[in-house]
Amino acid sequence: MAESKEKKSKRKLTNKTKTQITDLTDPSLYTNRELSWLMFDNRILGEARDKKIPLFERLKFLSITASNLDEFFMVRVASLKDMEEAGVRKRDIAGLTPSGQLEGIYRATHELVSLQYSTYNRSLIPQLESSGLHIVGHHEVLTKEQSEYLSRYFDDNIYPVLTPMAVDSSRPFPLIRNKTLNLAALLKKKNGSGEDVEFATVQVPSVLPRFVELPGQLFEDDCKCHLILLEQIIELNIDKLFLNYDVICAHPYRVMRNADLLIDEDEAADLLAEIEKQLKQRQRGNAIRLEVEDGIHKKLLRFLKEELELNENDIYYINGPLDLTFLMKMYSLPGFDDLKAPTYKPQNVPELPAGCDLFEQIRERDILLHHPYQTFEPVVSFIQQAAVDPQVLAIKQTLYRVSGNSPIIRALAQAAENGKQVTVLVELKARFDEENNIVWAKMLEQAGCHVIYGLVGLKTHSKITLVVRREDDGIRRYVHLGTGNYNDATAKLYTDLGLLTCRDAIGEDATAVFNMLSGYSEPKNWNKLSLAPLWLKDRFLQLIHRETDYAKSGNHARIVAKMNSLCDRDIIEALYEASMAGVKIDLIVRGICCLKVGIPGISENITVRSIVGNFLEHARIFYFENNGTPQIFLASADWMPRNLERRVEILFPIEEEDLKEQVIHILQVQLSDTLKAHLLTPEDTYEKIDRRGKALVCAQDTFCEEAIRTSKEMAKAQSTQQTRVFIPETPR
Amino acid sequence: MAYKTFAAIDVGSYELAMKIFEVSGKTGLKEIDHVMQRVELGTDTYNQGKISMKRVDELCEVLSGFRGIMKAYHVDAYKAYGTSAIRETENAAVILDMIRSRTGIEVAQISNSEQRFLDYKAIASKGELFERVIGKGTAIVDVGGGSTQISLFDKDKLVATQNLRLGLLRLRERILSMHIRHSGYEPLIKEQVDNQMEVMRRLFLSERKIDNIILVDDYLSAVMQREDLGFDNPGFLSGKECRRFLEKIRTRNRTQIAKYIGISEEKAFLLYISCEMVCRIMELLGSKMLWAPGVSLCDGIGYEYAEQNKMIRFDHDFEKDILACADNIGRRFLSNVPRAALMEQIALEIFDHTKKIHGLKNRERLLLQLAARLNDCGKYISMSNVGECSHSIIMANEIIGLSHMEREIVANVVKYNRVDFEYDAQMRAGTGLDSEAYLKVAKLTAILKVSNGLVRSYREKFNTIKVSLKDRELMILVDTPEDMTLELGLLGPRADFFEEIFHIRPVVRHKRTGMPQV
Repeated sequence: MAESKEKKSKRKLTNKTKTQITDLTDPSLYTNRELSWLMFDNRILGEARDKKIPLFERLKFLSITASNLDEFFMVRVASLKDMEEAGVRKRDIAGLTPSGQLEGIYRATHELVSLQYSTYNRSLIPQLESSGLHIVGHHEVLTKEQSEYLSRYFDDNIYPVLTPMAVDSSRPFPLIRNKTLNLAALLKKKNGSGEDVEFATVQVPSVLPRFVELPGQLFEDDCKCHLILLEQIIELNIDKLFLNYDVICAHPYRVMRNADLLIDEDEAADLLAEIEKQLKQRQRGNAIRLEVEDGIHKKLLRFLKEELELNENDIYYINGPLDLTFLMKMYSLPGFDDLKAPTYKPQNVPELPAGCDLFEQIRERDILLHHPYQTFEPVVSFIQQAAVDPQVLAIKQTLYRVSGNSPIIRALAQAAENGKQVTVLVELKARFDEENNIVWAKMLEQAGCHVIYGLVGLKTHSKITLVVRREDDGIRRYVHLGTGNYNDATAKLYTDLGLLTCRDAIGEDATAVFNMLSGYSEPKNWNKLSLAPLWLKDRFLQLIHRETDYAKSGNHARIVAKMNSLCDRDIIEALYEASMAGVKIDLIVRGICCLKVGIPGISENITVRSIVGNFLEHARIFYFENNGTPQIFLASADWMPRNLERRVEILFPIEEEDLKEQVIHILQVQLSDTLKAHLLTPEDTYEKIDRRGKALVCAQDTFCEEAIRTSKEMAKAQSTQQTRVFIPETPR
Repeated sequence: MAYKTFAAIDVGSYELAMKIFEVSGKTGLKEIDHVMQRVELGTDTYNQGKISMKRVDELCEVLSGFRGIMKAYHVDAYKAYGTSAIRETENAAVILDMIRSRTGIEVAQISNSEQRFLDYKAIASKGELFERVIGKGTAIVDVGGGSTQISLFDKDKLVATQNLRLGLLRLRERILSMHIRHSGYEPLIKEQVDNQMEVMRRLFLSERKIDNIILVDDYLSAVMQREDLGFDNPGFLSGKECRRFLEKIRTRNRTQIAKYIGISEEKAFLLYISCEMVCRIMELLGSKMLWAPGVSLCDGIGYEYAEQNKMIRFDHDFEKDILACADNIGRRFLSNVPRAALMEQIALEIFDHTKKIHGLKNRERLLLQLAARLNDCGKYISMSNVGECSHSIIMANEIIGLSHMEREIVANVVKYNRVDFEYDAQMRAGTGLDSEAYLKVAKLTAILKVSNGLVRSYREKFNTIKVSLKDRELMILVDTPEDMTLELGLLGPRADFFEEIFHIRPVVRHKRTGMPQV
């Protein structure tokens, strides 16, 4: 058997390291970011395959792998295809050209999709059946009564919203919208000649629920729920759409298009209008992927392939329902709570009892928030209290992605109506959230907020809120800095850290950040914050180099860093140098990691682990030993070129000793995770931790338990305080 | 609340800046916010002589934004000053009126000397550090868009101040108009600096050692505060470090400087010019250390407000500097110093004893002192036209700390001490004096005329001089063994003028004690 490329590359690397690599830019020392991302999606798929996880949670994980893969195609693959078409030969960090990367991606994605569907068909569907949930896979298996029921359902509910479109010499191939599910059919005119076959397509309407529950009395089994997918109902009734034709065959298909917005901000007079225009065009980008039902009619496939101008590599033959994101909706089906993990309720923050005056508490001390273990409520309250506080003069905030019906937006609008000066930076270009952002931006403008759209060419990814308050002893600035977005919905699912402080030095910096974002000043000499794209990368490099120097001089040196992705070459080089100098480096990288571990003489001191659990790991934490005086930072940025060079990001220090200890504890628990952590191996694969002789630790569960315990202790302490209140005797 | 919020706005040649301060008697001046926005007013003024309407639109838009920020901070007061670009534009009055009607912000024109004085106050606010630095020979190099002010200190005393037409925007325009290559910038800037510095060097620097430079500018001094640029002691740079930094930016083009420092390319170019210029000045003065306190005009405006509202007090005596500056002008133009001192003594006696009558304040007392010290400087030019010539000399020389109006008052008092007084409209024609200033000129002239009358025979000293006010007479009792017939004879017309102004008749009584000079 021919040796695979990966094996060859590994062999090459081993041979090289034997002769000691001195050039740290050598591509063999790095992993391609796209392939690394696909490994991450594979790790999520691993959760969907894990039988120890409740069944409905596994459905959710499988759905996530599908939606992730959609986004990956629309952005990453699309961009590589653009490059390939433009003849770009520039090599990536791992030495691959765009074509080389696409080759690897095709191989890996086909494998991934195949694994997704084998998980769905072989593991999840049988278990769902045995748990009382039956999904009708194909309409062909329906009984006459069931078909009649669905025929009526089709007539009443589906037929009115369908728009079948035939293609012939007078009617060109219609625009098949991005990510929509469609049915393609081959038709033959009734009484027509044998060769005269026409193509027709109909979109499965996205306004209708993807699955329909069938009445239990139509079935003779014990299942408590029977579902059928919408496309199966349409397929069953497709002849009703083409009355003068015989339908030769009909199959579902789905097209994915290039969805990367191309906005020339220098030319765009009005960014808001430009993005609105581009969003419409997103539906018309080049097709980059076609998913078809396995067994699709050859003629139909050939037609689609030619019309959409796709190669064989771009076609995915799906053995099951297309677009598995419907599984996320299935999660909300009633009656299956026993198949779900118990819902975790974010706990109160001990320093911030319900109803407290936040400003007073922040004046007392800095407050660290750990979401979703601790509630996001204080962050929302921070804005809400500011909005109605007569002493508050101004509120300034960056918004990257906000939830639908966001209480933060409402509070900001209320603040503006109350006469506060409200400045909001809405990052319109937050990918796939553009439409949502435009709606909020317009609403805030109407409420009287000063809405700004950031800096030309840079996405504002930093998460910062500044509240300026006029107090008796002077103007005081309260600041919230976070690693996650101001999104109360995702704050229940993403693990993030936030800091509430009123330290003067940070307040000054926060003011300068907003002045810079609103174009009122150029960057200055910062007190505590480091900002990308100007200084953040240099700051990180300086911090890493300092550890290297300490290690070289025999002092204490260590780096622990947690982030979502690591693919910046300069940072990785610096980490390799640090490792070579003897610095022990532990990285907790959820997603992409272009660094390789265990390269003899280069990265033997580095470990990389990825935690994939119920919550999405999202916090960015950086620990530098600094010869026994540890420095801890939180950031909005990953160690990625886009974060460090093309975005406005903030790195902020944690300086209070007890808060530092809290953050160190978080890192320690994550490093001791033996259940949800995957360790990167020198073979460039991820493996679960070998648990032999180790305690079973799930970091996320540990944090949940700790938050509950602390919250209970707090409640107990409060009730004790209440019982000790002396009530004066009423005079008789 | 025991504090006030104050906004200081600098309508500069290159950009508009605003600082919001919290001012209290307890904590002094605390900067809360600092915003700036580029509007190149200077490019219009220096090239076309007046600011275009397009720039006025930009200017008003930015000032409206500033107004929004002021509103957000609920500022209690603000002060906005327009510097050289506003000062020199032909359509200043129109523009200031437009700003007022479109933004509601009153921008006042500020004279060069007032502007520099505010900068100087901002530096002096550094207290002990400032006093320590000026303990040695020091030059404050205040680099602006249109000009650069160099003020020399000798043993903590301001000895001279000179305005050089070496502004950053002016230099930039000159460089750009010549279409020279990057390598040609350095010799061109050097040549400009050398030309301007030559006279100053001959006049003031031949016997003076200038060890330290205090830099005030909008570009370089901010960069010199930066820890991340590898300065040993940010804010304080040795000559060697300055040159090293200059080398670093000299070898980079605008884009590279911008990236290195993290500023816009436009600012990077101005930063380069400033650096080249300051290093050359340092070289010419032979200075060993540069201190960039990182202050700006906005700070000065803030300190002025705080001082006026009695929320801060400076340790440094600025009046002493103003008087020292006048003394230097007097020395340069060969004034009779002992006689001027005697005149000042008599004038102040009269001023102090007629306070209730004239109603003038301490600031006018200072103007009287200056007028006395400079009363005869015009003799350097012409013995027969001393009044006019003194007026011209005073108006042509800057006295740091005086506004243009104040300088004009001093110059007119000196002039009318010698020539017949011109009444209201006649005097004010062609000057910037308003009616209030005119009255001040009249009152101070009346006082100076009487004191001048008493020292006509150039005696250097009286034993004593006592002044008292009795009914409608100002009794001046002069104790001197010398004969005063001449003075008493010639005092008549001067006393008449004094009486005309104050409705008080000066009466001189002569007491002879001691032996007359032979």
